[in-house]
Amino acid sequence: MGLKIPCPHCGPRPFLEFAFGGEVRGDRSPGPEEDFRRVYLRTNAPGPQRERWFHAFGCRRWLVVRRDTVTNRIDPDVGDGLD
Amino acid sequence: MGSIEFEGRRVRVEAGDTVASALFRHGVRTFGRSIKYHRRRGLTCLTGDCANCLVRVDDEPGIRACVTPVRDGMRVEREGGVPSVERDLLAVLDRLHPLLPVGFYSKTFIRPRLAWTVAERLIRRTTGVGRLATDVRPRISQVRHLHVEVLVVGAGVAGLSAALAAAEDGWSVAVCDEGEPGWLVAPGPTLERIRSLARAVEETPSIATLWHHAAVGIYEGPLVPLAGPERLVRVHPERVVVATGALESLPAFRGNDLPGVWLGRGAARLAGRHGLAPGRRVVLVAETPEAAEHLDALRASGSELVAVLAVDGVPAPTAGPRVFRRGSLAAAEGRRGVRRVVIQTDGLSERIACDALVLSTIRLPRDALLRMAVDPADGSSRGTVTGAGEVVAPGCSLDQAAESGARAGRGEAVLASEPSTPAFGAAGFVCPCEDVSVVDLERAWEEGWRSSEILKRYTTASMGPCRGALCGWTLPAFVMARGADALAAARTTARPPVRPVRLEELAAGVHEVVEKRTALHELHVARGAHVDWSGRWKRPFTYGDWREEHRAVRERVSLMDVGTLGKFLIGGPDGRELLERVLPCRVASLEPGRCRYVAVLDEAGYVMDDGVLCALEDGRAYLTSTSGGAARMEAWLRGWADRLDLRAYVADRTSTLGAINVAGPLARELLSRLTDEAIDASSFPYGAHRRLRVAGVPCRAIRVGFVGELSFELHHSRSRSVELWTALDRAGADLGLVPHGLDALDVLRLEKGHAYLGQDSLPDDHPDKLGLGWTVAMDKPWFVGRIALQRMRELPLERRLVGLELDGDASSLRGMPLTLDGRVVGRVTSCARSPALGRSIGLGWLRAVDGAFPAVLRAGSVEARVVRTPFYDPEGVRVRA
Repeated sequence: MGLKIPCPHCGPRPFLEFAFGGEVRGDRSPGPEEDFRRVYLRTNAPGPQRERWFHAFGCRRWLVVRRDTVTNRIDPDVGDGLD
Repeated sequence: MGSIEFEGRRVRVEAGDTVASALFRHGVRTFGRSIKYHRRRGLTCLTGDCANCLVRVDDEPGIRACVTPVRDGMRVEREGGVPSVERDLLAVLDRLHPLLPVGFYSKTFIRPRLAWTVAERLIRRTTGVGRLATDVRPRISQVRHLHVEVLVVGAGVAGLSAALAAAEDGWSVAVCDEGEPGWLVAPGPTLERIRSLARAVEETPSIATLWHHAAVGIYEGPLVPLAGPERLVRVHPERVVVATGALESLPAFRGNDLPGVWLGRGAARLAGRHGLAPGRRVVLVAETPEAAEHLDALRASGSELVAVLAVDGVPAPTAGPRVFRRGSLAAAEGRRGVRRVVIQTDGLSERIACDALVLSTIRLPRDALLRMAVDPADGSSRGTVTGAGEVVAPGCSLDQAAESGARAGRGEAVLASEPSTPAFGAAGFVCPCEDVSVVDLERAWEEGWRSSEILKRYTTASMGPCRGALCGWTLPAFVMARGADALAAARTTARPPVRPVRLEELAAGVHEVVEKRTALHELHVARGAHVDWSGRWKRPFTYGDWREEHRAVRERVSLMDVGTLGKFLIGGPDGRELLERVLPCRVASLEPGRCRYVAVLDEAGYVMDDGVLCALEDGRAYLTSTSGGAARMEAWLRGWADRLDLRAYVADRTSTLGAINVAGPLARELLSRLTDEAIDASSFPYGAHRRLRVAGVPCRAIRVGFVGELSFELHHSRSRSVELWTALDRAGADLGLVPHGLDALDVLRLEKGHAYLGQDSLPDDHPDKLGLGWTVAMDKPWFVGRIALQRMRELPLERRLVGLELDGDASSLRGMPLTLDGRVVGRVTSCARSPALGRSIGLGWLRAVDGAFPAVLRAGSVEARVVRTPFYDPEGVRVRA
């Protein structure tokens, strides 16, 4: 409910302002098999995960954070939050 | 002062009265009946913790009398008895314990199956703590968000000290309390201390005070919702200091739930605050040094102290009452309330006549909020939430509480001490809310339910309205006393809400609906349009007669407000490169002044959205999307610009630009009346776009044709929408201009075989399935979704969207399955009786049967034949006019 996401442009804001963009995966694949895995198979592992969020009710920009999917702790040490 | 209405009688009230004190002064001792056995319930804690004084106030059930201040003319009723709380015939249930065993719901009325349906009705009528109010005026709660650095919950000595210390260190602070500072405290040194601290807090500008705001829970973030008198306040602090104090324990002994059994602080408050004696003859159990204060307050109120049962180390009066140094409390006896107390010493029982039993027992932390903040993953506190005062060190002195609060306020570690284990007798009630006794727990234990959590679920102990305030510690103590391990005897999970909260407060904010309107909304409404939801937008569906609107488009000229379309300007050094990579169509070859229909694919190769791409003269691009897909399109484009590391910008012009589609064979005639520029077919052909000043309004005119007629989509500054629409409307009056809404549009586009994405398409439709394969340039080396699409193209097409010709009037067949020899092979997704064609047409998806798509099907009772689209003007002559 009150999870806060550190937006590099707006500061820490409640997650309800954001849209989830999913786990950070590659953008291109060398072949169809890799592409299938990239598009469809999520790691979905408990623990830290790099993921994208879109600040829909804020700056309307994308950012990348490292979030622990078990504890919801967000690691502030991922660069400036921009991918 | 004024008066309240209590069950039809007028009851005089005094200044500072609560509902509880006013009724007590009036002589009321029984405030309600218990849920199962209909035992009498009287005032016990007077701190809003237990659920023994729930009454109905102004038709609202479940109001805690002890923390509700009186208001002149307030209507108060007790609930739960048949025919009344005082004379309750259902009290006979109290003699039927053997028929109502623990785990009753799981054991009885199981067979025959019908038994429960009968029994349930009966049980529902006899149990419960009140009638639900059905004719109350609905109130809509508002939400307020509050961002502070430190939130302090509880305005006692520790809480106020924490707030002051935090403010002194420069933090921004908010302090909340269910009431006001000291509101539950009897006069004495504690109250004086609280009052002086509260004065200091009020004088500190950096501390916001939220009195009468009860913290409901602590959620991650942390987020602390406070239930206030008129609204819900969502506090987003960086740190939380929980200073909710401690509550005296209710030991288990026979008769421990009788009216007249008081927790010490409650009795002292009634005596000191309201000048009411809890009883004429009082027995005091003194387990803490604070008992001396309670004793003074009781005496001052005129109670006679007849006996004191004091544990070692606690000072007891030397003159006056009988003092028991050894011995234990065995029982409280009486029918309507406490009449005798049984004290056992060295195997001898002694009965002492009295009418109140005051329990100044050991105090147990009121720590539900604190425990909610514990991380389930590793058991650590979520770092930002700390306790202060009695909630972490029950029984601490005032100085210790102040010190503890100050440390917590500054963010330093706080000394904590383990609370004592509450005493556990052989009889009596553990959970007065749910009528669960020690005997019930013992029986459940024998049946094999051997941990706190399981006992809780089986016996319902601690599941009542007080949320375990009285039994949250005694239930685990029971398990521990039977030698169970620490895990089995762990306290049950603390969950919100810790204080009663109205459903309307929980629902606060849900009524805030986003309603988008175009600049022309008022014009549509003034014209009498039927305006309704279309996604988040309010749009005109018809201005009266959709057939007439349809005819205007096909035969004359019409306007449509398409300001809802997604509208984006894409620029920057890599702007065109971004579009080349994310769109499946060719972008580089699109010359300035030309536009192109685009289907936008996602990474899985499925059609996500569609729109029109225009190459602008200055190298930038202008892209439109569907109305519902606009927000996603913006995010999607920006996301790819980031991911591909391209220097491109995406400006969302959806809300700053308006758009009006001028469509119909006479559209050019209409526009030529309002512009001097050449717009004939050779200088402004289909598929082109250009700047065009219409009626003095600068527009970007796009020649596209969703409706299948000569049309000009005029994109312009939203601020001039009304001016433009009005000019067009006036200039077209003699041409028979009628604007059209979504109802007419639905048929117009269907006649052209244009799919509505989302209605006619499925989430996993790639372009070929929708007949949009021609929009994809597979010879481009890469674009988003290309690999997936190529892979899918290697497989035979298993489903596609087809045009349908239907018999009869098929305007109500949308959603009808398409069948072949009784097998469902598809579904009608759009259909209408076409005024232009004079027959029923539709779109629908169809599965391949044995490698081929059947041509003749049935849609319900009607024959459906697969035909080529577009149905209307298949050569597209009209749109190119």
